[in-house]
Amino acid sequence: MKKKVLTVDDSRTIRNMLLVTLNNAGFETIQAEDGVEGLEVLEGCNPDVIVTDINMPRLDGFGFIEGVRRNEKYRAVPILVLTTESDAEKKNRARQAGATGWIVKPFDPAKLIDAIERVTA
Amino acid sequence: MAAKKAAPGSVKLSAVLDLNEASVLHGKLMSIRGSDVVIDASGVERLGVQCAQVLVAGHRAWAEDKKSFLVEKASDAFQKTMQLIGIDNGNLVAKEI
Amino acid sequence: MDMNEIKEIFFQECEEQLAELESGLLKLNDGDRDPETVNAVFRAVHSIKGGAGAFGLDDLVSFAHVFETTLDCVRSNKLEPTQDVLKVMLKSADVLADLVSASRDGGGIDESRSRALVKELEALAHGEMPSASAHEAPKPAPKAAPAPAPVAKAEPPKPTDESGFQPIPFTFDGFGDDEEPALEGSVYEITFKPRRELYSKGNEAALLLRDLSRLGDMSINCDMDALPALDKMDPEASYFGWKISLKTVKSEDDIRTVFEFAEWDCDLDVKLAEEAASDEELPMIPVPFDLGILDEPSTSEEEEKAVQSSADETVAAAVSAAETATSVAKAAGRASEKKESAAAAAAAAAQNNAAAAAAAAGQTIRVDLDRVDRLINLVGELVINQAMLSQSVVENDATGTSAVNMGLEELQQLTREIQDSVMAIRAQPVKPVFQRMSRIVREVADMVGKQIRLVTEGENTEVDKTVIDKIAEPLTHMIRNAVDHGIESPEKREAAGKDPEGTIKLSAKHRSGRILIELTDDGGGINRERVRQKAIDNDIIAADANLSDDEIDNLIFMAGFSTADKISDISGRGVGMDVVKRSIQALGGRISISSRPGLGSTFTMSLPLTLAVLDGMVVTVAGQTLVVPLTAIVETLQPEASAIHSFGASQRLISIRNSFCPLVDVGRVLNYRATQANPVEGVALLVESEGGGQRALMVDAIQGQRQVVIKSLEANYTHVPGIAAATILGDGRVALILDVDAVVAASRGQSMKPEMSLAATG
Repeated sequence: MKKKVLTVDDSRTIRNMLLVTLNNAGFETIQAEDGVEGLEVLEGCNPDVIVTDINMPRLDGFGFIEGVRRNEKYRAVPILVLTTESDAEKKNRARQAGATGWIVKPFDPAKLIDAIERVTA
Repeated sequence: MAAKKAAPGSVKLSAVLDLNEASVLHGKLMSIRGSDVVIDASGVERLGVQCAQVLVAGHRAWAEDKKSFLVEKASDAFQKTMQLIGIDNGNLVAKEI
Repeated sequence: MDMNEIKEIFFQECEEQLAELESGLLKLNDGDRDPETVNAVFRAVHSIKGGAGAFGLDDLVSFAHVFETTLDCVRSNKLEPTQDVLKVMLKSADVLADLVSASRDGGGIDESRSRALVKELEALAHGEMPSASAHEAPKPAPKAAPAPAPVAKAEPPKPTDESGFQPIPFTFDGFGDDEEPALEGSVYEITFKPRRELYSKGNEAALLLRDLSRLGDMSINCDMDALPALDKMDPEASYFGWKISLKTVKSEDDIRTVFEFAEWDCDLDVKLAEEAASDEELPMIPVPFDLGILDEPSTSEEEEKAVQSSADETVAAAVSAAETATSVAKAAGRASEKKESAAAAAAAAAQNNAAAAAAAAGQTIRVDLDRVDRLINLVGELVINQAMLSQSVVENDATGTSAVNMGLEELQQLTREIQDSVMAIRAQPVKPVFQRMSRIVREVADMVGKQIRLVTEGENTEVDKTVIDKIAEPLTHMIRNAVDHGIESPEKREAAGKDPEGTIKLSAKHRSGRILIELTDDGGGINRERVRQKAIDNDIIAADANLSDDEIDNLIFMAGFSTADKISDISGRGVGMDVVKRSIQALGGRISISSRPGLGSTFTMSLPLTLAVLDGMVVTVAGQTLVVPLTAIVETLQPEASAIHSFGASQRLISIRNSFCPLVDVGRVLNYRATQANPVEGVALLVESEGGGQRALMVDAIQGQRQVVIKSLEANYTHVPGIAAATILGDGRVALILDVDAVVAASRGQSMKPEMSLAATG
């Protein structure tokens, strides 16, 4: 059975990269453009793992992660955060919000797949 | 809550035994405390440690009650995970090295 | 989709982000202190950096990084976005735009400029927050000045808290970290006890153990001592811990990497077993890695399980009894956890409401422009088809049954509505063009040493994309002119009692189906004396010509006119306002100027909202149907014989209210007929053309006014001199749309080259 990944990122570039990478790796991919849409899409899509950006309009990654963790049905879903190496502080905030793990930018397909494999059965 | 007529209760484990399911499973076990139980693990695709904790606690509780607590038809995933986390799934107790 | 396509998307997105960035910075410049504005600016740069990193565009990444770092200081209120700061930021935005272009199209950028800006940005990031270096070491209280309320709304900053959480995964000294692992493998003893947070954050101990087992031979002992009785336990708490013995060729780092995501939510201890087997053996034998070990799950547990298959239940029971004793204390702890989660739930509700409100904002989809263009073409066909249908019904059924007529009327209305709606799809705000202008103002002002601020208004006014694409160039030129010639130098301004900083205002608004763009400067206005003298010197007007102020002002639109005493590289000779006027007219627009000496000038452009349809006057010339753009026509008149004056071989003038205007015989110019038409039998269309001069176009008759759908002749046939485009009329005939300027220009020779002429067929 294909694993389902929900990606949340406001950058079209990154969304497309995620899509191509995940599809190539055999994942089913659902995409949202910001935290608000991410929470909307979450309902009913039942992802195995979520990959989210931090800096997003409307609702940022922290808010989105908190939203997922408060969701009765989906609070246990692993969430990976796209972050930058230098951003220790953001990584920590993301963890406090309930992130499971992180993927360090720049975007690298191998790192992404590896991180997903680590947090999913 | 202890049903006296010891008709064996049966619990079919969900496919995904994650954080959410731990409370559900806990509730189920609590509700049939006191009767023999057969746990059907045939459909388990994913087993998390928290559900394993509930199962082990259940096993101990049943032992205390002197009732039988049987896990049967364990799926591959169930067996593998139990093994991985160091629990003898036949008896749901910790193994020693 | 391949990487190249994604790269293309990236560059498109960069354009949008750059626009976002600039407009945000300009808002900040105007005193906007909305945290969301700062956030949007930061996001724009961050997003560009992220994508650039993925494509290995290192120059772009490193500049964006420095920029982002400085913006982050603004975002966290460590740096006040003063005008001076914003000046640097706006320049940086320009350099960032250049870097994006250079990355896309190749070519270099002005490196000295970007290097200088990097320095300035870094100085800003450092200067105002003394202790915060690039590393942002979380010293307990790095705030130099009492910072204003934090920008981030979601959470209050917890600087001290976070310092304890620095990711220092691989720096445990003293555990033999520098030694290469012995090739045969070492045995590590690992104790691992998750906390409940590990699970609540979506990590799973079973998966960590799985990954650990892949590193080598693992034997595991689950410590269940902490597990309370079933009725006392919290199903979501963490009770199990593990003692693991792992024989692996991997290093301690590799082992810790498995726990990378979990290390703060568990107790973890990794150390080399003292009686590690490899210590005794010869460490130097270069045995190759056996990769098989890495992939296969360890089998050791299975063997042990066989030995240990029956476990002692009484032991387990005894253990659980002991646990009951401690469970009371734990229950207390749990109660306080519950309280916390209630508070969290309340916060959740509040946030959800906010999120719902935000979601109500307009949604957009992205559509390929080709599809929209195709739709617009099809609707054009529909409009024509509908017109033809109406006409044939009218012709074939003079009486007109009311049902059919009513149906047709409804169809017409629907068609028009569809057309309007479809046009609206391609309509876009002029904002991106206006934003580009602010950069030009900055750059040109810098170059000529003036202080100028650009104020824009009505940037959300929408106009067809095809128009937007074409107004950028004339507008750029006008802006350069305004900066270079319009606004005076700061000294002159001060001497005149004005603010040394000049203002240029660019505004857009809709007016009666057209878009009106106004460019106003508060400079010195047109120096009429000089313009007049220049015009006389250049033989544009006679030395004794009697011109109104307005007429003098409009002389600047004459070909080859330049009033600057010195020719600067900004608006050099050759590209004057005449070029601007011509390109505006080519769009079916008009431009005019009004000026007040000492106070400034205003250029007003009126443009059609679309280039897909046109309001035209349908006329007959030598049996052919032509369409003359309504915008070009000043008035129509029926010439009287007495008003026509001939001179030379074939030149004629018409006198209109005491002034003479050359008469242009359209039929002759287009070679529709060999001889001159008699003006008295036709109609004269007074048109304004290039340079503001008026001409009277002679046509045979006026059929009426209507909106026509513009069809490109170049795309469907070939370019025809004197003809701008074609259209299809209701009766199915093709009608050519007159290029008024070209016809007027050609009228000097009275005729197009014969072989190039084209009579409409139909």
